[in-house]
Amino acid sequence: MLNIEKKIDNDKACFRLTGRLDTLTSPELESELTGIIDGLTDLVLDFEELEYVSSAGMRVLLAAQKKMNDLGTMTVKHVRQEIMDTFEMTGFDEILTIEN
Amino acid sequence: MPEINGKEAVVYKMTGRIDSNNAPKVEAEIAELLKDRGRVPVVLDASELDYISSAGLRVILRVKQSNPELRITGVNSAVYEVLDMTGFTEMMDVEKAYRVVSVEGCEEIGRGANGVVYRLDDDDVVKVYFNSDALADIQHEREVARLALILGIPTAISYDVVKVGDSYGSMFELLKATSFSKILAKEPERMDWVVEEFVKMLNRIHGTLVPEGKLPDFRETVISWGRFMQDYLPQEYGEKLMSLIEAIPHDDHMIHGDYHTKNVVLQGDEVLLIDMDTLAVGHPIIELASVYNAFQGYSEYDPETIMQFQGFDRDTATRFWHKVLAAYLETSSETKLHEVEDKARVIGYTRMIRRSIRRKGLETEAGRAEIDLWKSELLQLLDKVDTLVFDKNELEIDAVNDNLPEVQAFVEEKLERAGFPAKTTMQVGLAVEEIFVNVASYAYSPEVGKAKLRVEVADGPSSVTVTMSDSGVPYDPLAKDDPDVTLSAEDRQIGGLGIFLTKKLMDDMSYEYKDGKNILTLRKNV
Repeated sequence: MLNIEKKIDNDKACFRLTGRLDTLTSPELESELTGIIDGLTDLVLDFEELEYVSSAGMRVLLAAQKKMNDLGTMTVKHVRQEIMDTFEMTGFDEILTIEN
Repeated sequence: MPEINGKEAVVYKMTGRIDSNNAPKVEAEIAELLKDRGRVPVVLDASELDYISSAGLRVILRVKQSNPELRITGVNSAVYEVLDMTGFTEMMDVEKAYRVVSVEGCEEIGRGANGVVYRLDDDDVVKVYFNSDALADIQHEREVARLALILGIPTAISYDVVKVGDSYGSMFELLKATSFSKILAKEPERMDWVVEEFVKMLNRIHGTLVPEGKLPDFRETVISWGRFMQDYLPQEYGEKLMSLIEAIPHDDHMIHGDYHTKNVVLQGDEVLLIDMDTLAVGHPIIELASVYNAFQGYSEYDPETIMQFQGFDRDTATRFWHKVLAAYLETSSETKLHEVEDKARVIGYTRMIRRSIRRKGLETEAGRAEIDLWKSELLQLLDKVDTLVFDKNELEIDAVNDNLPEVQAFVEEKLERAGFPAKTTMQVGLAVEEIFVNVASYAYSPEVGKAKLRVEVADGPSSVTVTMSDSGVPYDPLAKDDPDVTLSAEDRQIGGLGIFLTKKLMDDMSYEYKDGKNILTLRKNV
């Protein structure tokens, strides 16, 4: 289960994720981003209520980061420790811009 | 004329007191009766004997030496005590005089395969046996109940045998005991508590190792049911049934044999197991078959019948059975519950069909309809079930992404139950996602096949080992190079992350290809 609460203001977007970002749910995030990402310069992903990220979720984050590197900035906020651990193991703490 | 071992016996009636004054006279009278008759069986009728001294006992011993087939009958309790203390009850056949008890107007509190239980007064209940020649059954039940108690199973042991009309009864002290059936019927809000206690008792029974030869082997009984069924099933199905039953391994752990909510009672705050006459050893699937029958099988054709037997409706019984199975298997995985339920049903239907046929079920329309229903279910099961054995730490499931939540829950429930820290549980869950999704994506593509997951928790808990196997194309996920995690986003590849993450999260990870299977093993220490 993943819930995505979106706030979009012209070229700025904030996605607040609740639940799990895994094999079954990450396609939802991917398709939500696909529709709008080309028009963005500032993307914020708020992980405060996100409990779990697997490699399937990380692939979506990586693709979004690659895209936003060309278009502007992407920031991931409020990452909890369990998820931060997996980001560190995989070097994602260096790839993503994380603000806690 | 009374008989012993089918031979007519000589009867001598002992009266009043037998002591050193009249013992020689008694001995002479017996000798006169036995004169020229060889080793004829002897019955000493003690129904009018008030007292016997050691001189009298010596007479009995000498008669026993010359005529070994000796029985003493109608023994009152004072004389019985003497015979018991001196070891006579071990040496020879001693029958007590039975107290006569009436159950007229008494409340029926239980009904089992062999008899009815009545409440006599506040303290006592009596189980009256259907079979009028039940002394051997009663003796058996007392012995197995004693054994169970010694092995740590809380149960009630009968303290006396009484005569009830033409049959016999066992007396039990049961103070205000309430059966679990009654609790489910009257206090449905306590169902979860009943489930918990019912399963706790079941685990206690199944965790009890029985010394060899002390209890009958229920597997033998199931084999006899299977043989009976050969005449009523198409040949190949009969053979499949037989091979499934014969493949059930011998098991020295206890099973109750008739485990349902009328046979578990609450007395004060103590939960007791009763109706012990079917106590046996055997594989737990045999027990689950009879539990299935009690709550589902017997009332499958006519859902109303459960009310007469248990006092609650079919819906309650169905919910109870599912909760019990989930608690017993320690999982909420529907795949796992169905797997074990199907195995239990194979034995359950076999038992019910045989029972119904033996009770002339084929001679009535309702009986035939019921047998037909059970038989069609059994045939369908025989098409898909390949073993009756189960392992609660294993889950076999279609390797498709949609099953991911069930697979993760299966693992996480085991770890939570074992007391793993939440963080470790999440990390193992994450590793399981990565390896399961791998199998789902590549092993059988584009077909669908099975993945088998095994979770083993080491004591403490100190570690958990998860094994995932599949029969798909040979593939070693560990052979791949790790991604370079120092690269920038632009240079990072999208793939290879899952297995890399799994390696990082786990303490050990290994792969082998064996007997046509990919076997991936993960270990995580606490």
